[in-house]
Amino acid sequence: MFELLSEMWDFAFMRRAFVATTVLSASVAPVGTFLVLRRLSLAGEAMAHAITPGIVIGFVMAGLSVFSLLIGGLLAGIGVAALTALLARKTILRSDASLASLYLIALALGIFILSAAGSAVPLKSFLFGSILGIDDASMMLVGGVATFTLVAFAFLLRPLIVSTCDPVFFETQTRWPWLVDQGFMLLLVLNLLAAFKTLGTLMAVGLMILPATAARYWASTITGQLALSFAFALASCWIGLTLSYLFPNTPSGPAIVLVAGGFFLISAVLGPLGFGGRLRKPSVSKTHPVAQIQSEERAQ
Amino acid sequence: MSSVLQIRDLTLGYRDLTLFRGLDMDIEAGSTLAVLGANGAGKSTFVKMLLGLLNPLSGNLHWPQGKPREIGYLAQMTEFDRRFPIRVRDLAAMGAWRGFGLRSGLNAEARKCVDKALEEVGVLDIADRPLHTLSGGQLQRALFARVIMQDAPLILLDEPFAAVDQSTEAHLLTIIRRWREEGRAVVLVVHDLSSVLDHCSHALLLGGQEATYGAVNEVLTPDRLVAQGYLSESQASWMFRDSAARLEVADV
Repeated sequence: MFELLSEMWDFAFMRRAFVATTVLSASVAPVGTFLVLRRLSLAGEAMAHAITPGIVIGFVMAGLSVFSLLIGGLLAGIGVAALTALLARKTILRSDASLASLYLIALALGIFILSAAGSAVPLKSFLFGSILGIDDASMMLVGGVATFTLVAFAFLLRPLIVSTCDPVFFETQTRWPWLVDQGFMLLLVLNLLAAFKTLGTLMAVGLMILPATAARYWASTITGQLALSFAFALASCWIGLTLSYLFPNTPSGPAIVLVAGGFFLISAVLGPLGFGGRLRKPSVSKTHPVAQIQSEERAQ
Repeated sequence: MSSVLQIRDLTLGYRDLTLFRGLDMDIEAGSTLAVLGANGAGKSTFVKMLLGLLNPLSGNLHWPQGKPREIGYLAQMTEFDRRFPIRVRDLAAMGAWRGFGLRSGLNAEARKCVDKALEEVGVLDIADRPLHTLSGGQLQRALFARVIMQDAPLILLDEPFAAVDQSTEAHLLTIIRRWREEGRAVVLVVHDLSSVLDHCSHALLLGGQEATYGAVNEVLTPDRLVAQGYLSESQASWMFRDSAARLEVADV
């Protein structure tokens, strides 16, 4: 086993995968955290599917290059976001139903075009990712997106916190509240594209949501939430990639997301804001803040 | 008394629905205005218009002292996400977030201001607690601290006492009184005819496609409340029975 693991580092593609997912974790953690806090977890999942036809058309027209992936994905993402907003504003459908309808069409269209074009890329690696797929250009994409995301967050963090915590209040505070919303959606699409090669279109959003929801069970502050999301995402990537290497026929995407799912389940059971906190409440009534307030109120 | 905002010939509504026409009023510094009306009469729409989130169908808004950079605003508590992971202290500081800049942290002076606001509303001792651990009254006090941090000449409060107990309401009313003494104008959307009205100098009654503005005792008469659909006749005669009896005694 140890031999197998030490052999893993001899392969350039494994070293690249570890570096790429480490950088990716730093980039997707803040995006995932705010997806969860803004109650957009499912919209993130839908958006991941919605960019599929853009990626596929880009691939069919210009081959599997980072440039075609980026342009196709961005156009599809922006197109679906704009159409969703238009449907929600001008028709009876709400934005969740509009987005669900559009992403289903987009996903089916993407898979249809990919199959009809007789793609050389196996469908499985397209949908679920492949550690072999991380070439130098993909590394550049991940690095570029991560740099852009972290710099953007340095400037967007405070408005994002205010607009997420109290959107009505935020609307009264700025002339362009939509700028923060749309800026965040752009970061989401860019990060989905960066995660595409490792995780595939179906699993890309998993690395955003699961570490963030797991962290939510432990953290009571934004800083704690961001730090823990990163830690869970990083650990999921490293453990998931190792599993994917040990079991050669498994795609890397589901392996990474499964590990993240493990962190989520453990956190839901043991985290102070999950089942664990509630189950333990009688025995920690002196220290747990919820229990403390409740007991104070009862005393009053 | 100087006006913070002068409203002339205001018609408010939406594309297919006019809520009221021809409103003339001044919101004066150091006054407290109660906005009343039945559901759908346009209370929230009026507040949205004051905040600049909605344009009137016609009419003029004039800010004699210039449009304030900040308008203090407290929305209905039902619109607030109480599970958001921040502490009470951070929620209060949010009132002045634009002054802190995009990236810099709070300096000692700003922290002192936040502590002072929290102390005034009576939640300084729980300043480091996350929001989800607060009771409804404690959260409303923290939101009042955020309004204090906004330091605005015009303050809009949308049903601020809907979900709080009597002692919290009494405490928050003392803060509103201080705002008025400091020369700020306070607009208070109230749902029912309660003792809150004792703390208001003016009232704006909306309903029946009309808007009536004036001193509280001039606007909130039984006849007008019935005419603008705020009360039914039987409700009005029940609620104003004591004052009617007093009038009869006076006549004798």
